[in-house]
Amino acid sequence: MKKNHFRKIDKLLEIPKEVYSNEVKITIVGFEEIIIENYQGILEYEEYFVRIKTHTGIININGYGFNLENLSNDDIKVTGKIEGIEFERLMEDENVN
Amino acid sequence: MLIRILLCYIFGYIRVSVEGYYIEKLINICANKKIIIWHVKRDKNVKLYFNVATEDFKEIVKIAKKLKCHVKIEKKKGLPFLLHRYQKRKIFAIVAVLILISIITLSHFIWNIEIKEEDAQELEGIFQDVADAGLTTGKLKSKIDTKEIINKVRLKRQDIAWMGIELKGTNAIVRIVKADSKPEIIDDADYCSIISNKEGIITKINAQNGTANVKVGDTVTYGTTLINGWLEGKYTGLRYVHARGEIEAKVWHTKNIFIPYQSTETRETGKLQNLYSIKFHNFEINLQKRLSKFKIYDTIETEKKFKLFSDLYLPISVKKTTYKELEKEEKTYQPEEAESIGIQQLEKELEEEIEDKSKIVNKHSNTYEKENGIEIYVTYEVLETIGTNEKIVF
Repeated sequence: MKKNHFRKIDKLLEIPKEVYSNEVKITIVGFEEIIIENYQGILEYEEYFVRIKTHTGIININGYGFNLENLSNDDIKVTGKIEGIEFERLMEDENVN
Repeated sequence: MLIRILLCYIFGYIRVSVEGYYIEKLINICANKKIIIWHVKRDKNVKLYFNVATEDFKEIVKIAKKLKCHVKIEKKKGLPFLLHRYQKRKIFAIVAVLILISIITLSHFIWNIEIKEEDAQELEGIFQDVADAGLTTGKLKSKIDTKEIINKVRLKRQDIAWMGIELKGTNAIVRIVKADSKPEIIDDADYCSIISNKEGIITKINAQNGTANVKVGDTVTYGTTLINGWLEGKYTGLRYVHARGEIEAKVWHTKNIFIPYQSTETRETGKLQNLYSIKFHNFEINLQKRLSKFKIYDTIETEKKFKLFSDLYLPISVKKTTYKELEKEEKTYQPEEAESIGIQQLEKELEEEIEDKSKIVNKHSNTYEKENGIEIYVTYEVLETIGTNEKIVF
């Protein structure tokens, strides 16, 4: 209940969602750059495939020539030729929604 | 984040390659331990390349040991590594410092004087006058008093309306505006008469004020009084006035030339020889022998000063001496040929001199044949208004 209450205030103040919650923000710039905020960890990293774990699920990025440009605690920038992006929802997440 | 990476470029970073099975785990541990790694690249093999700051490298080695990965340093970059490399090259460092010091000290002197006249008007001997006033190459910038130099030059020369000296780098730019020589203005209230300033035959005289001294058809020379600055009346007596009037005269413009029948003309063959020498202020070093291989030649010397950026001149210059080969050619003219050449040349000269070509009344030429050549006189008759005011001195 309390959490919900705070969320209402946050919504009123128009604070971005990714700041007050663990929601993922994915920014795709062109076909060659993707920025993922609020990630948890890297599950797999190959030159042609990146698998990133987030709080709401797993993001799979397909393509080739992937580089991890900027790595920090909560955001990651992947560059390379992106061919496809896939999401894997967590089962418990579905119940929440 | 970005600032920390930028700081790493200064304080040094290492490009590391890690080989092993649990590579993703290494990245995650790094992220958790707040070790910044950037430009992570996966090779087609099992190798992983990334950059890491020097102080975090020991941590990376520890983590890699836990994960049984193999760590290898690929490259060391940044200022500390660069300095470390140059520690061994002492002479290089000393020379670099010496050059820096010499450039700094040289930049306190004036090494080039540039004189810019407005409308590209030439002022004779201005370079010498500026140098005499104290602006010479090789002088300390702080010891140059621009105001004093300007005052000195302006006192010495009358033909300068304005002068400014700008010290830019090691370059002194002297800007000059030339003053027009003004005719002596005589006040309307002063008594004056009009005198001739050209030679010619009067064709029209119209005295508005004063008494005419010459008639139409009179030949006047330089200095002849045309209109006297007084009026004479039977009852009033002699009364001085400011003479005014219009005088038109036929003025002769004559030019002569002597053209010999046999002449030698020098002609450029187009062959060039360039010799270079290096000059340090006043000390010159020749790079080649100074003698030219041509028999008859013209010498052209150009000097190019070294400069850093646009205005930081250095006292080093490259002097280029160009020798142009010349060829002598004997030419013989027929009398008629010589005459036409001479007349053409004189007409061209005269037409440049006369401003209003519509006022040309008559042209004629005289030729005098001599032993070895021909002398040609060309005269133009031009209608011109003449006369200048001259103050009557009692």
